[in-house]
Amino acid sequence: MFNNKLSTIFMLCGSLILGGIGLESAEAAEEELNCLLCHKHRGLSRIDEKGKFRLFYINNELFESGPHRRNQCKDCHKDIDRIPHRPAKKVDCTQQCHIVEPSGEQKFSHKHIADTLSKSVHGKLDADGNPKPHEEDYPFCKDCHDQPLYRPIQVYKGVAKHGISERSIARCRSCHRDGNFAEDFYEHVTSRLHKTRFSKEIIDVCAKCHQDPEFNKRHELDDAVTTYKETFHGKLIALGSQRTPDCLDCHVVEGENNHSIESKLVVTSATHEDNRGRTCMASDCHQKADPKLAGFQVHVTYDREKYPLEFYMLMGFKALMAIVLYFFLALIFFELMRRLFPKFAFFKDDKPHHHVIEEEKAKIKKK
Amino acid sequence: MPTPKYEPIVYKDGVRYFYRFSAHQRLQHIVLFTSVLVLALTGFPLRHADEAWAKPLYDMLGGTEIAPMIHRIAGTVLLALFVYHTIYWMVKFYQNHVRKLIDEKRLTPWNFTKEFFSQEMIPNKKDFYDIIHLWKYLLYFTNRPPRHDRMSWREKFDYFAPYWGIPILGPAGVILWWRDEISHYVPGIVFNAAYIMHTDEALLAVLFLFFVHWYNVHYAPEKFPAAKVWLTGYLSEDEMIHEHYADYVKVMVENGLEEEIQPQHFAGEHYKW
Repeated sequence: MFNNKLSTIFMLCGSLILGGIGLESAEAAEEELNCLLCHKHRGLSRIDEKGKFRLFYINNELFESGPHRRNQCKDCHKDIDRIPHRPAKKVDCTQQCHIVEPSGEQKFSHKHIADTLSKSVHGKLDADGNPKPHEEDYPFCKDCHDQPLYRPIQVYKGVAKHGISERSIARCRSCHRDGNFAEDFYEHVTSRLHKTRFSKEIIDVCAKCHQDPEFNKRHELDDAVTTYKETFHGKLIALGSQRTPDCLDCHVVEGENNHSIESKLVVTSATHEDNRGRTCMASDCHQKADPKLAGFQVHVTYDREKYPLEFYMLMGFKALMAIVLYFFLALIFFELMRRLFPKFAFFKDDKPHHHVIEEEKAKIKKK
Repeated sequence: MPTPKYEPIVYKDGVRYFYRFSAHQRLQHIVLFTSVLVLALTGFPLRHADEAWAKPLYDMLGGTEIAPMIHRIAGTVLLALFVYHTIYWMVKFYQNHVRKLIDEKRLTPWNFTKEFFSQEMIPNKKDFYDIIHLWKYLLYFTNRPPRHDRMSWREKFDYFAPYWGIPILGPAGVILWWRDEISHYVPGIVFNAAYIMHTDEALLAVLFLFFVHWYNVHYAPEKFPAAKVWLTGYLSEDEMIHEHYADYVKVMVENGLEEEIQPQHFAGEHYKW
């Protein structure tokens, strides 16, 4: 049996020897507990009690350009007060942290986002406050946000790098010379203004649950991701389009935040029967269309009961294709085979070709 | 513009060639296959967007911004050609058939119908017997291949394939293109139907063209690497004997060459590699 604690100690020792112990960066020195002393090592990992591989490496370069750069580790991992420490508890993203917003003087918390999420279709509790069936399947912050697309990456002249482009921030620095205000404010604002996330990656986040056959079975859902990928929207995104709607564009009411997605049965949801038309006609999309356009069925599974028109059309085309192609491919096959023995036949027709000539002459005379 | 006169038989390098298609018809075929190839190249990466080859090919053709525009231009050309050819065919039908009936004062609905079915591209009873005869031949029940007229049933199938494909693909393409405008007049599910019609009929058309039509004109041993009739408009004597024996005999008799008529053979008997 694998000894978890022992493995952790071995890995820790190994990484310390390989990496060398020392305070290499100024950021590390500033840390109250100097967490990076251990967590800077790429090999820092263990197999947890459930047999899952856990990696504890922190890429400080990424962290320093991420949204939590002004937080100390301890601001979120409140239960850790010494090193070496025991396995840390899960972070509660709704707790108030020590950050003061640059725009005002209020202390920051993600609590209101968590409240919005709990009221949405993704909330763990139903309208009466009771847990929904398969409560554990419903997402919380990290289920979506712990995805590669949330890495702080800047693209300048087609080259992707961590953090802020020096060229982009130079303008801000021309006035905001002191401290980190320019960096913090620039990061805070631009990460929200720009659509920095590729639609493909957003689809991958949703696919984590909605393309999982077991998950869909448990919740009696159709595979929303595969069916979406069958539409022109999905296909254009696969080919690199940046102007085509992804999941969020249709499932979030225009102007609302992404955490407020609701079931299509809720009257205020973007995909409710009465609102779908407005969703399609949202700015930059099908502005000239009639709300009837929303009658287009996006998530078609070709199920006979649910989508009879699509099912029978598909069957019709498949049958037609099979008949035409099998007939002609068989013909080609036999024609090639016929060339093997061109003169052979079970019954010979040795009538001379002259009778054809006579027939033709007779026809010409008749005319 | 008067129709250019084509000799029914010409000689080149000691080989006899038989007239098949006018320059006007050959030009229409060039426009047809060019637009179809462009449509297939700009359409199939989208249909199979998840395949590894799709994105590089689509990017080469202009990517998600330009390739759809090229696709729509090619589609417009193809639809225009479809309309043009239909008018061309109606004019030809009038010149070669209806006017004769008018001149002879025999224009009745029955005679009109008879003339309609006497056109060389219209399928008839002989085609049905030719198909049965061909299968008898392919399964070694007879040593004689069918004697096709000027247009064999396979050519008629090839000819009518666009007449069945374009009325399905074209309107569906227009609906998907002008979806916002058309949504004012039709329910949304029409777009689902148009999507299936456009993508699945396109697959059938392309598979048929690339496997069956290209076998007939490219891959078949006696045609490889490519038949020339689409360029020259003339078919060699060997090919005439193999593919259109009834018409070959007729043309030879009409031109007083009945003594030189060769017996029927099948291409497998003497390849010219």
